[in-house]
Amino acid sequence: MATTVLIVDDHNAFRSRAKRMLEAEGFEVVGEAADGASGVDAAKRLAPDVVLLDLQLPDTTGFDVARAIAGETAVVITSTRDDEEYDARARRSGACGFVSKAELSGAAIEELLP
Amino acid sequence: MALIDADPSVRYRALLLAALDCVVAIDHTGRVIDWNPAAERTFGWSAAEAVGREMGELIVPPALRERHRSGLARYVAGGEPVVLDRRIEITAMRRDGSEFPCELTITRIVQPGDPVFVGYLRDITERHLAEAELHASRARIVSAADEARRRLERDLHDGAQQHLVGLALTLRLARRKLGSDPALVGELLDEALSDLATATDELRELARGLHPAVLTEGGLQPALASLAKRAGIPVTIADVPEERLPPTVEITAYFVVAEALTNVARYAGASRTDVSVRHIGGVLHVEVRDNGRGGATMNGGSGLRGLLDRVSAIGGTLFVESPEGVGTLLRAELPCAS
Ligand SMILES: Nc1ncnc2c1ncn2[C@@H]1O[C@H](COP(=O)(O)OP(=O)(O)OP(=O)(O)O)[C@@H](O)[C@H]1O
Ligand SMILES: [Mg+2]
Repeated sequence: MATTVLIVDDHNAFRSRAKRMLEAEGFEVVGEAADGASGVDAAKRLAPDVVLLDLQLPDTTGFDVARAIAGETAVVITSTRDDEEYDARARRSGACGFVSKAELSGAAIEELLP
Repeated sequence: MALIDADPSVRYRALLLAALDCVVAIDHTGRVIDWNPAAERTFGWSAAEAVGREMGELIVPPALRERHRSGLARYVAGGEPVVLDRRIEITAMRRDGSEFPCELTITRIVQPGDPVFVGYLRDITERHLAEAELHASRARIVSAADEARRRLERDLHDGAQQHLVGLALTLRLARRKLGSDPALVGELLDEALSDLATATDELRELARGLHPAVLTEGGLQPALASLAKRAGIPVTIADVPEERLPPTVEITAYFVVAEALTNVARYAGASRTDVSVRHIGGVLHVEVRDNGRGGATMNGGSGLRGLLDRVSAIGGTLFVESPEGVGTLLRAELPCAS
């Protein structure tokens, strides 16, 4: 069965391109959300295998969203920005890890999943 | 060599009368024995009122008075001088009770019998204000630079970087589909090209906002012409000097015109805007005049305030005249000596 994904990111263009790419790689994108609060809601409602979560959200940060949902679902944090610290911080907030947007692919996500 | 041959007391009077500093002499009990015109102006007591009264009561703020009295008494009783013959900064008090910072030296006139002291005192309120303003404007310049860098990071992140990330995802997908779906790959490549074009445009805009390359290459004439073209309102430009000026003057003039035109487009509702730049006697006069609604103030936002700091930093001056309903004149005078 295909791995199901929820994409949480405030940039429309990114969501649609990430969706297209992940679907081409055999994932099933089951939902999208544009801010942290609706991301938390959608994660609880849809129970996806993984949440692809942007770091800078309009209402909060990806680290905080990860803390709220990481017990229930796997989380991969992503951002246009990149920093050596992001992966460690992502893991401390309960996520599986960090991948920069420019390097995003289905394989990169799968590598981080438990 | 001419000698002053007037007798010493005449000489002392002349010095006292003409001095710009307050000169106040007291006896060993602290009573005023001399009080010059500058002291009259500064403190609000005439010489006739002051002479004979205790100085502490006249010009020392209540909070400092005891210290002044005990210090004087200690010295007169044979103690070590603490305040004599050196510059000190202290708070003094006017007749109306208002207090002000001053600098002061006190010296002892050597004569037989009880000592007499003369104090030279200068109101340094203005200097303190100027120092405080200098401090504040330095701090504003630094935080404006920090803010500009933050904005730049945000613009890069929200703009060009997003398009480049989209481009990376699109190309990665295209590569994957290369063998299986050539038609889709064609579409993806078109999309990638358009993402790339958008990113390039945004980077060009951003670079221009950082420093207009046309200014470096061609000077104020083409740079202002290009500003006017992009202003989104009709702008007439007159008299821009052809010769090159020091770079700091050029960039400052450019930012004055840029901010003025942005403001006109945003707020003025003007039907005409005139820009003129003249180089007269080593000073560059930059004027932007609109016939819009007026009412601009230097402290309304960060734009004009920031310009004022920038202009002051190169020794220039900036004025706004903006009567309601008549229009706005923003005028900068920038010294060109380099
Ligand atoms: N040409 C103008 N005509 C009418 N009102 C003006 C004009 N220029 C400025 N103002 C008024 O003066 C205020 C101060 O302008 P200023 O450029 O300092 O700040 P701003 O434009 O509000 O903010 P910023 O420049 O930081 O984006 C403006 O908010 C506006 O109300
Ligand atoms: Mg402005």
